[in-house]
Amino acid sequence: MDGRVTISELEKVYGEGPERTKAIDDLSFDVEGGEFVSVVGPSGCGKSTLLYLIAGFLDTTSGTIAVDGEPISGPGTDRGVVFQDYALFPWRTVFENVTYGLEESGVPKEERQTTAQKYIDLVDLDGFEDKYPKELSGGMKQRVGIARTLAYEPKILLMDEPFGALDQPLREALQDQLIDIWDDLGKTIVFITHDVEEAVYLSERVLIMTRHPGTKKTVTEIDLDRSGSREDIVTSDAFAQYKNAVWKSLHEETQTEVTL
Amino acid sequence: MDVNADATDGFDTSRLVDIGKSIYSLVIVLVLWELVGQLELIHYYFLPPLSDIILRFIELTLSGQMLENAFLTLYRALVGLAIASVFGVIVGVLSARNDFVDWFFDPIIKIGYPVPIISLIPVFMLWFGIGDISKIIMVAVGTFWPVAVNARDSTQQVQTNLLWAAQMMGTSDRRLLRRVVLPAALPGIITGFQIAMPLSLIITFVFEMVAGGGGLGALEIQGVRSFQSAQVYAAIIAVMFIGIGLDRGLRFIRSRLLHWT
Repeated sequence: MDGRVTISELEKVYGEGPERTKAIDDLSFDVEGGEFVSVVGPSGCGKSTLLYLIAGFLDTTSGTIAVDGEPISGPGTDRGVVFQDYALFPWRTVFENVTYGLEESGVPKEERQTTAQKYIDLVDLDGFEDKYPKELSGGMKQRVGIARTLAYEPKILLMDEPFGALDQPLREALQDQLIDIWDDLGKTIVFITHDVEEAVYLSERVLIMTRHPGTKKTVTEIDLDRSGSREDIVTSDAFAQYKNAVWKSLHEETQTEVTL
Repeated sequence: MDVNADATDGFDTSRLVDIGKSIYSLVIVLVLWELVGQLELIHYYFLPPLSDIILRFIELTLSGQMLENAFLTLYRALVGLAIASVFGVIVGVLSARNDFVDWFFDPIIKIGYPVPIISLIPVFMLWFGIGDISKIIMVAVGTFWPVAVNARDSTQQVQTNLLWAAQMMGTSDRRLLRRVVLPAALPGIITGFQIAMPLSLIITFVFEMVAGGGGLGALEIQGVRSFQSAQVYAAIIAVMFIGIGLDRGLRFIRSRLLHWT
């Protein structure tokens, strides 16, 4: 299956001389094609840096990141990022935001419109096509962000705390919507969050990172029966156990943070 | 901004009352002005009654002098501003995007922006004479700075996330400027025009006062020299209307171009 991410011996250093700080140190990790992986870690552990390295926005200091065996060099349309602060183009309407990637890859107008409409409908934004981002609520903006990224059909979705700024009910609704999208489209998803429950609820595997410099601490496989409702899942014993395991591992890291 | 909304409604009395209420302090000042003049509390030469000024304004308009001079002032200010806008936007945007251009222009802008440009009028008279060209160049030089600085700052402030978002969707570095940087920086660029516009009128007006060659500034100073103070005030009112008109015009353009903000 396509959309495999291979990270080997990744290192990222910011600055030079006395300002030099190591954000990520010796991180090796593989994401299978079509897999949903969450990355959690204490704040400042470089999890967003990791995502932007995979996206190709930042250059690695050493080590490689490969997509389907091909080392990446810069951003590419095989990967799509959903930003925490949405990063929509404010001068474009919802519809124009969603067609942007298709315009850039030279898709003919008619096809652009059909594809954009398909993804706008998928995130339940039909009727809002002609609105500008300033007219939308945070949740709607993030759905535009998701539709915009899905529209040019990248194999890999990289999500940087996409629901972090939203309130609980809205966050849950979008989480469920994301799971449906993942089921339907079979994308590889790398999902950054600091919310343990969110990570366990959404993903097949959770990568827990150490505090500064960030590297792999533990990887927890989440093997939940997801056939039931949200309530069934989050109240199950298995869910509680996974949540505890991830929380404990993460808590060890935040403890060191406090003592320092 | 809501001036446009006013125009769409019909003319009804309640609206007139509203307008009256919003400017009634101005009305009081104008009535006091007329009274002070009529009662000769202040010598006619310093402050003629408002009615005399209005009569003189109408006289100058009917004789064609007002329009001719207003046109000259407007022409010099707008041509100068247009030149400054083109160069200011190019230099400002490139400074924000290119280290070499920034290295070159940053010290020039740091020195040039705070210079009280009007102090250079004598130099411009020496170099370029007192004709239209000299005035237009002066306006262009004087208004270049706010346009360039606003264009540079707003370009620098374009969020990295927007650029990244475009890059991940396949926008090449070359197209990034047109597709993302310019639209994102447009509000700040237009703010630069709005700051530069009154400056262009000030520079033109002062240059005309000092160097003559027609224009509202020359009309005003001619009034002073010939002891016709009504003409002095008539010229001031004319340039005031031009200033308000241009400001309204720019606001309208802004609201049209930036309806998404």
